Amino acid sequence: MGLPIPAGLKQEWAALETRRQFLGRSGKVLGWAAAATLLGSRGLTGDAHATDSTGRQSSQDELRMPQFAPKAKRAIYLFMSGGPPQMDLLDYKPNLAALYDKDIPDSVRGSQQLTGMTAGQARFPIAPSHWAFQRYGQSETWVSDLLPNTARMVDELTIIKSTNTEAINHEPAIMLMNTGNMNAGKPCLGAWLAYGLGSMNDNLPTFMVLQTKTNPKENNQPVSSRLWSSGFLSSEYAGVGLRSGGDPVLFLSDPDGVDREVRRKMLDAVEQINLQTLAEMGDPETNARIAQYEMAFRMQASVPELTDLSKEPQSTWDLYGPDAKEPGTFAYNCLLARRMAERGVRFTQIYKRGWDVHADVTGLLPVLCQEVDRACYALVTDLKRRGLLDDTLVVWAGEFGRTVYSQGGLSKENYGRDHHPRCYTTWMAGGGVRRGITYGETDDYSYNVVKDPVTVRDFNATILHCLGIDHNKLTYKFQGLDQKLTGPVPANIVPGLLA
Amino acid sequence: MRDKCRSVTGFYAQRSERLPQGVQGADEGRRHAAGSLESPAKAETGLHAFEDDKAATFASGGACMNRPDPCARVLLLLMAGALLWGAVGCHNREPQVSSAKHLDFNQDVQPILARNCFSCHGPDPEMRKAGLRLDLEESARQKRPGHPDAIVPGHPEESELIKRIESKDPHHLMPQSPQGEARPMKPEEIAVLKEWVKEGAVYRPHWAFDKPVKATLPAEARNDPWVKTPIDAFILARMKKEGLHPSLESDRATLIRRVTLDLTGLLPTPSEVKAFEKDPSPDAYEHLVDRLLARPSFGEHRARYWLDYARYSDTYGLHYDNSRHIWPYRDYLIRAFNDNKPFDQFAMEQIAGDMLPARNLDPLIASGYVRLGVSSNEGGTIPEELRVNMTRERTEAFGATFMGLTVGCAVCHDHKYDPTTQKDFYALSAFFNNIDEQPFNGDRPVWAPVVRIPKTQNQQAYNQVLAKRSELESKLRAEERQGRALVEQWIDSRQNPAQPVSTDKLILRLRLDEGGGDELKNSAPQAQPATFEVGKSKPQWGETTWLWPDFRLDGSARVALGQIGDYEWNQAFSSGGWFMPRSTPSTTTGGTSGALLSKMDTTQHGRGWDLSIEKGMISVDLINEVPNEQPPEKNAPGKKAAPIKESFRYPTPGDLTAVDLAKGKPDKKPDAKKEAEKPKPAKKPGPQMAPDPTPRIAIKVTSVDPLAVSGDWKHVFFTYDGSGKASGIRIYVDGAPVATRVVQDTLGHGTIRTQVPMQLGYRHPDATPLRDSRYQDIRMYARALTAEEVKRLPLEDYAAELTNRPRQQWNEDEWHAVCEFYLENVDKTALAIRSQMKQLDAQLDKLSSGGVLTQVSSEKPSLAYAHILTRGVYTARTERVEANTPHYLLQLPQGEPRNRLALAEWTVSPENPLTARVTVNRMWAEVFGAGLVETTEDFGIMGQRPSHPELLDWLAVEFRESGWNMKHMYKLMVMSAAYRQSAKSTQEQLAKDPKNQLLSHGPRFRMDAEMLRDIALQSGGLLVDKIGGPSVKPYQPPNVWEQVSYPASDTLNYTQQHGEALYRRSMYTYWKRMATMPDMDAFDAPMRDVVCTRRQRTDTPLQALVTMNDVQWVEAARALAQRVIELGGSKPEQRINMLSEILLSHDAPPSMAAVLEGSLREMQKHYAADPVAARKLVAVGEKPRDPSIPEPELAAWTMVASEMLNLDETVNK
Repeated sequence: MGLPIPAGLKQEWAALETRRQFLGRSGKVLGWAAAATLLGSRGLTGDAHATDSTGRQSSQDELRMPQFAPKAKRAIYLFMSGGPPQMDLLDYKPNLAALYDKDIPDSVRGSQQLTGMTAGQARFPIAPSHWAFQRYGQSETWVSDLLPNTARMVDELTIIKSTNTEAINHEPAIMLMNTGNMNAGKPCLGAWLAYGLGSMNDNLPTFMVLQTKTNPKENNQPVSSRLWSSGFLSSEYAGVGLRSGGDPVLFLSDPDGVDREVRRKMLDAVEQINLQTLAEMGDPETNARIAQYEMAFRMQASVPELTDLSKEPQSTWDLYGPDAKEPGTFAYNCLLARRMAERGVRFTQIYKRGWDVHADVTGLLPVLCQEVDRACYALVTDLKRRGLLDDTLVVWAGEFGRTVYSQGGLSKENYGRDHHPRCYTTWMAGGGVRRGITYGETDDYSYNVVKDPVTVRDFNATILHCLGIDHNKLTYKFQGLDQKLTGPVPANIVPGLLA
Repeated sequence: MRDKCRSVTGFYAQRSERLPQGVQGADEGRRHAAGSLESPAKAETGLHAFEDDKAATFASGGACMNRPDPCARVLLLLMAGALLWGAVGCHNREPQVSSAKHLDFNQDVQPILARNCFSCHGPDPEMRKAGLRLDLEESARQKRPGHPDAIVPGHPEESELIKRIESKDPHHLMPQSPQGEARPMKPEEIAVLKEWVKEGAVYRPHWAFDKPVKATLPAEARNDPWVKTPIDAFILARMKKEGLHPSLESDRATLIRRVTLDLTGLLPTPSEVKAFEKDPSPDAYEHLVDRLLARPSFGEHRARYWLDYARYSDTYGLHYDNSRHIWPYRDYLIRAFNDNKPFDQFAMEQIAGDMLPARNLDPLIASGYVRLGVSSNEGGTIPEELRVNMTRERTEAFGATFMGLTVGCAVCHDHKYDPTTQKDFYALSAFFNNIDEQPFNGDRPVWAPVVRIPKTQNQQAYNQVLAKRSELESKLRAEERQGRALVEQWIDSRQNPAQPVSTDKLILRLRLDEGGGDELKNSAPQAQPATFEVGKSKPQWGETTWLWPDFRLDGSARVALGQIGDYEWNQAFSSGGWFMPRSTPSTTTGGTSGALLSKMDTTQHGRGWDLSIEKGMISVDLINEVPNEQPPEKNAPGKKAAPIKESFRYPTPGDLTAVDLAKGKPDKKPDAKKEAEKPKPAKKPGPQMAPDPTPRIAIKVTSVDPLAVSGDWKHVFFTYDGSGKASGIRIYVDGAPVATRVVQDTLGHGTIRTQVPMQLGYRHPDATPLRDSRYQDIRMYARALTAEEVKRLPLEDYAAELTNRPRQQWNEDEWHAVCEFYLENVDKTALAIRSQMKQLDAQLDKLSSGGVLTQVSSEKPSLAYAHILTRGVYTARTERVEANTPHYLLQLPQGEPRNRLALAEWTVSPENPLTARVTVNRMWAEVFGAGLVETTEDFGIMGQRPSHPELLDWLAVEFRESGWNMKHMYKLMVMSAAYRQSAKSTQEQLAKDPKNQLLSHGPRFRMDAEMLRDIALQSGGLLVDKIGGPSVKPYQPPNVWEQVSYPASDTLNYTQQHGEALYRRSMYTYWKRMATMPDMDAFDAPMRDVVCTRRQRTDTPLQALVTMNDVQWVEAARALAQRVIELGGSKPEQRINMLSEILLSHDAPPSMAAVLEGSLREMQKHYAADPVAARKLVAVGEKPRDPSIPEPELAAWTMVASEMLNLDETVNK
């Protein structure tokens, strides 16, 4: 009992674990393996075969990631859950005004299976957008009056009008966007990035997920942890939720009555005893546990520092607006995303729900756009001012678009729009993508893509490319297959989007 | 015979190389060979084994051979063979065998081929390149025109396979990625393949698909004093081969902690530890194991694993993610494990308990297994898509749980590695495609089929009736199995022949058996017109089968039937047919309403007639005119919604009440009450619509009871006698008249004629759709059929038509229809049984009154079919396939019904090669931390090879031969010397066997999430010892559910419970799929969206945060602290010892005690100086504390207890 640790044993273990990694890495039982990508530290320029503090060689070394010089080191993904109506925001269709309440031609609709919500509808009357559009920027991009701030930054954006998906309902569609597969069980984009690229920060998670507080007026389709899950990858690559109420990270705060000093003392005692156990039992797992307690302790300091906005200058508030002071708003989350980018969080995803505008489009869209428009502008602008935009990829996308025909009653004042998978508009900005362009075209009804379609697979392949990853090479053997984000059907990087 | 032969081959193939010293194996092999000289295959097999044994001898001389890396082993083996072949091998060598076979196809070769070649040259024809298939011997040897031979046995240099993998030309070099990039193999892999070809390129069946055979215990190990159970002989033999030695046995304290945790999921109490340590009996350990196996907590602990294997959850997992009421299934699991239900029965009850004879409800409750997967009610979902997805999910789950195969890989294409074809997958899925269920769940906590479990006081009486019913049902099934023979006798006897219904005035008969296209044939004798066009969207054909493959009117499809059905009030007419109405998602239409058949103009005050469903009731309307905005009729039953009726065949729970079927509502937020108390603004009167002054001139008759909606077909028909009176209308369901209610009877002589066309599924124009409903054999007669005629309509008329044709020409569906008719209408035995059963059903219904509901399975009477779907797309149906098991495994018996019961029997058949292996392997993984086959979910080609193949097979056969005795198997495992070893590992062991697959020391690994929380609660004396019941909601951080849920979900708000609910075992914690309990999530608990047979075991800082800061852990620390202060004695060292005894089952060693005592002094100093902090800390958690203990003292000890709870030793078993 209480044997001293033999000299060099720690190094032995370190070496052993590297070896274990080499010999025995398999499937899902990673246990002691590769723990450190959650918090392991290694920048993109780091030694490709360095081991982390627990002596582990992590996945990116095996995968040799990044595979080529990336344009972006990190990404921020603004997920517009519910499906924003493209023709009311960025996909301008001036001819529709004349077609108000006319039936959409059968030739446009084709033999498409409709959702159960409008399949029984007798007519499919065209609902032109309620809002006017103007041209902005050097790129002379048409933007709806709903998005005055987005309009100010069109020359930074890569607008994709030809995004299209295969799913027509939220659950499968949102899964497809995030994990490349309509069915549950696959890792999401963020998990793949964490797995492939690892962390750039010792004290914060690699992949963080922020939920925007719901607005009860909106139709808030649910999201679930399967969207930021690691699927068959080790669960250490799953997104860590950063929350707006209570602990920013679950269980982060010490209990009432326990201060930092007490925590430190407690941890010291635990570590001393664990080292005794390590010496006695010789289980390398114990070593990893000791390291993880230390990382937890560091996180307890680094996360509150991250969410402490008291030192933000006035210019921040001028840029993001007063909403940003209220935790949980989209603006607040955008500000945190910028702070995370500064601190080396690899991938941040912000969910904004409420875009599922089956009815009352004219009532809902101004509210939604008001929540989102300024904050998006602020984030891109802020990143740019701080020199971060060049190596940060910002992505704005929902899971599908909406129908040009009205769901339910159509009047001059109001209308509804059903789910529409055949085309929708997304945008990217920053590291790796061409600025100030619009890519792809839809037909006069914003119904079908007529030029340069971008599938979900292509979209994801392109995001990976911007981060220095060949989507065909970021693979993981599971159930005998080289699994990848873009799935088995061929996917293509979209060169027209790239800088 | 062939199977048997193969299994013998397989046995040796699996055994090869690991048989010790060769002697035993060779003898055995020779015996076999001698005993079957007529079979050259067997003779060769025997010799093969012998040669392999020899190879193993060489291999054992090498160092560090890691099982999953066969290449290294083989390379070594090849070297050894080259150097030592003659020297060591000769004494055993049979001189006549010249072609020495060193390599084991399954262990050494197949994994390399699979990894590198099968994705383009494997079972999937779609991906196959150059027509070369390498997974099968025949096809690999096949001549391909224009291609050199891939394999020339004995001649690697001539084999294209070898040339290509060694090629220097990057375009020529194999393997290549799908993008055409060369991905060269490792040199050692190439060496193996070369050697394999040189040895003759012998293929063997995949090890897991051959029936396991019990191997003789390894001779060199079985008499070793270390060996305590047969398991140990295998383990030791393998260890010896690898130059490893067993570790010492654990001390008793460690052992009792380990085995108590493994068998019950809980810690032993300090007194149990002491008693065991002092027990002088030589059988002390065995007695302990027996006591533990008999504890109720054993069943709980085993059930907790099974919940993962069965994907149990308390919510349905998509969209609203509402509650689902199926916890009685969890209680069933606990009972089954505690009663040591034989596994074959356990498995059968879950797969097909609804079809088994029952003495109580357990088998039926168990059949809820099938329905545990995710389901949906999302408004936009297309019903067929949902149905296909649910069937697929169930098939994949079955594959993972019972077969240990990734059958789901064959959803879109033939499996890339395993022999599972796409056809195999869909044939397997057909077993799960015949559940009597609507795809949409209505966002309700239960949806049919369900059973109502009687209250405890009625259970005995209920079970007595149930047993009688079961007897009758068994007789009925026996009769049904005779179905075809009885039908033949009946036809030949010419007694009671089936009578057709006269075609007199039959003006419309849409059989809807066209099977495709958008033109419908009117097969009435004087059909005018003869065909109808389907407008707008195309109809969907053949998704399911009833009389024949069916017809579904897609959402926007229309069928206009012209002026058929153009009648006046004084003309008699009858109409109806077979329907399967869609139970619409209630989010979009608010219940089942819509027109089945209609000739009615809704733009002209509803003039016309129709047959419709209105809020579940069947309704017949003959209308001259009615107001446009129809307020509720005066004599309608108030505003109360009609009772919903969901039913299935057995055991009918009676009508489910509105309460049963009510949609869940979100729990109110704590502040919602205040909100509710606020005065509500007075409602502004809305704009008043002027009432439509149109009088009601109409007849309206509705059924008194709602039409029972299930996933099953109903024959609905009405007759009208032309009297102009409501009394002239009769409504029939399945040929029998139903009670009706007259709602309106004011038609008189008012005309009902209208020029709008008659329509299926709609009123003119596009009003009141009964969306997505299925139809068969729709008829219209220009006369009122008699009751006797209507009785014959559903089946007898069709049976009469068929019996006029030679039965040799009947297809499966036609046989089915005639049998169905015969058994339900002619067969006296069946009729008598049915009528008795009906009485018993009524008694069961009564006896179960007031009980809880749980979801179960129920088989439809139709035949079990599915369609092969191109790329898995639900609309891309190709071939229709009958239910069947995969072609490469044991076949189903001929002539027996192909349903879930047959699948259940197949699963536990002694001939099934997978079930026993897969199950013992999971048991092994639970106890030893990893399976003998590490990929517990995949025994296919790409799965890991077993580390101890003979042991796995020995266990599998032992399991089956023991009568599938689960407790026996667990006992065997924990009684083994391998299990009892000390978990201390040496550097040598870690170097040679880093994952401890060879078990040179005892198992040690971090416990699962539930166990960790349970032992924390237990250590603090908080754990509530109560078994079963509904799920509970203990502490959870705020806003975990709220931030992800749909606002209308009944799991939007998490309402934490209090008292006992906080301290139940974690297996009872409410499981919401879309937001897993965060403390469990941190410790790798799965979402249970899909089957999980193997949890990850990660180690992250988030886990440290849970055990340091989660209120449950802090409260446990406080309670534990209080316990040791109260009971541990007055001295710190005594208390620290007690802490250690409680959590670690041993005294605190001095080094640990020193650290803890030091820490205690610091904590005491700290909290004495800061009593406010102390007060805050000891206030954590709802459990009242002992106020007599000073707060700073309790706080200091709480921190020490927390230190103990966070130790590596504590969280490891």
